[in-house]
Amino acid sequence: MSEQRDAVVEIQGGAFGYGGAPVLTGVTFAVQPGEAVALIGPNGAGKSTLLAGILGLAQHRAERFRVPTGKGEIGTLSQSSAIDAAFPVTLEQVVAMGRTPRLGLRWPGSGDRAVVADALAAVGLTEHRRTRFGDLSGGQRQRGLLARALASEPRLLLLDEPFNGLDQPSRDALIETIRTLKARGVALLITTHDLELARAVCDRTLLVNQRQIAFDDTDCVLTLEQVEAAFASHVMEIDGHTLATTEHHAAEFPEHRHPFGDDQLGEPAGERDEAR
Amino acid sequence: MTAALLGQAQLVGHAQLVDPFTPFAAPFLGRPLLLLLALAVAAGTVGVLVHLRRLEFSTDGLTHAVFPGLAIGAALGGTAGLLPGAIGAALAAAVVLALISRRGQPRDTAVAIVLTTFFSFGVVLVSLSRGSGGSISDFFFGRLLTITWGDLGVALTLIAIAVALIVVTARQQLFAAFDAAGARRAGLPVLALEVVGTVAIALVVVAASASVGTLLALAVVIVPAAAARALTRSLPTAIALSIAFGAVTGWMGLWLVVQLAQSGVDAAPGATVALTMIAGYLVALGVGALRGRRAAGTAAIAVDGGAAR
Repeated sequence: MSEQRDAVVEIQGGAFGYGGAPVLTGVTFAVQPGEAVALIGPNGAGKSTLLAGILGLAQHRAERFRVPTGKGEIGTLSQSSAIDAAFPVTLEQVVAMGRTPRLGLRWPGSGDRAVVADALAAVGLTEHRRTRFGDLSGGQRQRGLLARALASEPRLLLLDEPFNGLDQPSRDALIETIRTLKARGVALLITTHDLELARAVCDRTLLVNQRQIAFDDTDCVLTLEQVEAAFASHVMEIDGHTLATTEHHAAEFPEHRHPFGDDQLGEPAGERDEAR
Repeated sequence: MTAALLGQAQLVGHAQLVDPFTPFAAPFLGRPLLLLLALAVAAGTVGVLVHLRRLEFSTDGLTHAVFPGLAIGAALGGTAGLLPGAIGAALAAAVVLALISRRGQPRDTAVAIVLTTFFSFGVVLVSLSRGSGGSISDFFFGRLLTITWGDLGVALTLIAIAVALIVVTARQQLFAAFDAAGARRAGLPVLALEVVGTVAIALVVVAASASVGTLLALAVVIVPAAAARALTRSLPTAIALSIAFGAVTGWMGLWLVVQLAQSGVDAAPGATVALTMIAGYLVALGVGALRGRRAAGTAAIAVDGGAAR
């Protein structure tokens, strides 16, 4: 499966870290165009390090390492952004920022404006385009930042806990957007603590805890045994067929520093904080 | 000095001096006006970036750090030495800032240390070389009306380069100022953008310090953008307002200098222009607060109306 030539991401025997001992080892997986892969593991498992590695912001060693490298080919949505609510930009201007990696120093043309309008439509926020970004609700801001990522017309989208702290309408809207993107052939890698959502939108799941535990169809990976192995040191709540871990609560702590959404992205401090 | 210069203008008569345009036909008033208009354009570009990246204190540090360079330049080469001195001091300050920051000091601490050190050094230099270089108040404010065509040409060139650097990188600068981590993830060269921004700020500070003095340089970079932000929440409008604010207050300040001189008050021109800008800023703050209150009132009525329904 991972041998398919047109995979957007293809990694074999990958190890990721920030110098020193690797944070995550034994990573072998692929993401096909139009496929969403869930990246699941407890805090400190190395999920963010893997995302940073794909972006070239963390170091990697691998037998095979193929990721998009062109300008704007990878879009990202981080868990939390230290964004100043008073910053004088409209939603549309924020989404247009996402176009800059493709533009370089060129001035945007009508084609670029169409892409920005399209990205706004894809997240269902067209009518809010002239609203100041800081005046949007948390869920709308998150969708706005997703639209910013879409404005670079990425082949691969990295979403880090995109459902964290979202109200139900924003969750539904985001799931709908992810389905639309898959239909357009965008590859997605989504970290989440919400196993139900992984089941809802992700075809395959990569389960990690400092090493790769499993990578297969989501239903095959998210078995009680596998999840128990990944979240070994963590208490689990089993609610019907839904597996929810206590990590879900930990991830919503506001003071929790996450390297992927952090200014010190290139540094290991946040990742070490996460590890027990 | 102002009064002496204005003595030349007595020929045109008092009535004409009250007129807001005629005085600027005299080259010693036309040149500073041209410079202030160019600085207004810098305020709308470089100044807005300073405001968005919250670099006001760093810019303050930079203007004060340039001060000993001006003193050394003036002592060695007179007015011709001002610009090379300012450039040298700005470079030295940048290196020292980087070194202190690398030692793990917070940015504000580093700026405060550089500001105090360089500034004290400059004051000592000026006091040692009294007579040959010029007075402290000269370096702060005094040379606005004595700028030559040569000085003006150099200052305009530096300002043009700075404005061009910001205009060319504007959209990337905006992304990096709004969300540096996001810009880095998107593959933008955030560090290079920061360096380009800092170079542009330094160019404007150097050009303005060498021609209109240290404190007016700071006022010109910081006050128009702050006033514009008090008046609008839209970025394009803020840019336009900053330029208009810088131009209008610069022109009004110069006009005020002329009027004061006519009434026999020899006010320092640079300081008068700076105070005019501050007065304009206070007016902008007042207008902004009034509009904010009215908007809040409208919103409250809307909420009441919604609740009634």
